[in-house]
Amino acid sequence: MHTELREKHEIYDYLRHSKKFPVMWCAGCGIGIVLGAIIRAIDRMGLDRDRVAMVSGIGCTGRMPVYVDFNTMHTTHGRALAFATGLKLARPDMYVLVVMGDGDALAIGGNHFIHAARRNMDLTAIVVNNNIYGMTGGQYSPTTPLHMRATTAPYGNIEPPFPLCELAKAAGASFVARSTVYHATELDRLIEQAIARRGFSVVEAVSYCHTTYGRLNRLGAAVDMMRWLKENSVTLAQAEKMSPEERETKIVRGILLDREGPGYVDLYDEIIRQAKAAENG
Amino acid sequence: MPDEEVALQEKTTEKKTKRRPRGEVRLFGKWCKGCGLCIAFCPQGVFEANGEGRPVVAHPEKCTACDWCVVHCPDFAIQVRRLDDQEGKG
Repeated sequence: MHTELREKHEIYDYLRHSKKFPVMWCAGCGIGIVLGAIIRAIDRMGLDRDRVAMVSGIGCTGRMPVYVDFNTMHTTHGRALAFATGLKLARPDMYVLVVMGDGDALAIGGNHFIHAARRNMDLTAIVVNNNIYGMTGGQYSPTTPLHMRATTAPYGNIEPPFPLCELAKAAGASFVARSTVYHATELDRLIEQAIARRGFSVVEAVSYCHTTYGRLNRLGAAVDMMRWLKENSVTLAQAEKMSPEERETKIVRGILLDREGPGYVDLYDEIIRQAKAAENG
Repeated sequence: MPDEEVALQEKTTEKKTKRRPRGEVRLFGKWCKGCGLCIAFCPQGVFEANGEGRPVVAHPEKCTACDWCVVHCPDFAIQVRRLDDQEGKG
């Protein structure tokens, strides 16, 4: 069956067929859709897969690199960006993609996240935001909206969520974009631009967890949550026409920040060049 | 008949006869978990649920090769082959 699949469609070229399929995520989970978007972006850019590295931490999203035939690194919880920083500095020729969940990126790895952005480290961070810790049983995460339920917030969450994209912008990232798993083709275009941009690029892929978050908050099955994403997200142009109160309730999609300029690797190379010149001169 | 109406009629007949792209859908049962996204969202209604809630290609002739299901299947269990004009006939 695997050979049959491989012959037909490019996405199967990038899967590690020695691994156990189907993928381990719950039926209908958006993480598989994000993985598909990443593969399409890389395929379209024509990158040599030996020069692509996918780094992850722990959690549902942390399982993503298992299935793809790139250089992959499955690291400790929240530290994916730290490992990726080391990798990028040792091998600046690599395209380093860091896939994280919301808890991995903003709670356990929150410090790494803001400092990778501050350094403008040449990494592409793809954060799959499903508003909860899915794998460990539905504890609230730093992106769980106010008053929504989690197993650790049975009467509703009283902690305001982190606005992931605003955080990345303020901390110094070069490229910040957001889309949803319903808008999967938009997502792959954004990932493509994020990979191409120098400096720290962040793509927030808004997904859902119907198994824990959806069940605890009575939001329905995968199909219902997917429909919710479709009906409650707007493009930047649509958002501009809305009142601030209305905009608050929507997921705004598109490129939220795109600034050109050198990334960390460019500045580091420059320092090496200067130091060598001083030594030789 | 006024000219405008004639023009309009011609336009609509042209629209009707213009061939839409066609596609051939294949499902991989071993990878499919039956989440139902394809059944719910296919713009042409190609899929229907069987007794177990899993998708079957109930209306293959309706497929326009838009690839919605291919892009959104979280389990990579759907493929659509775009048919060329000759294959699409009949």
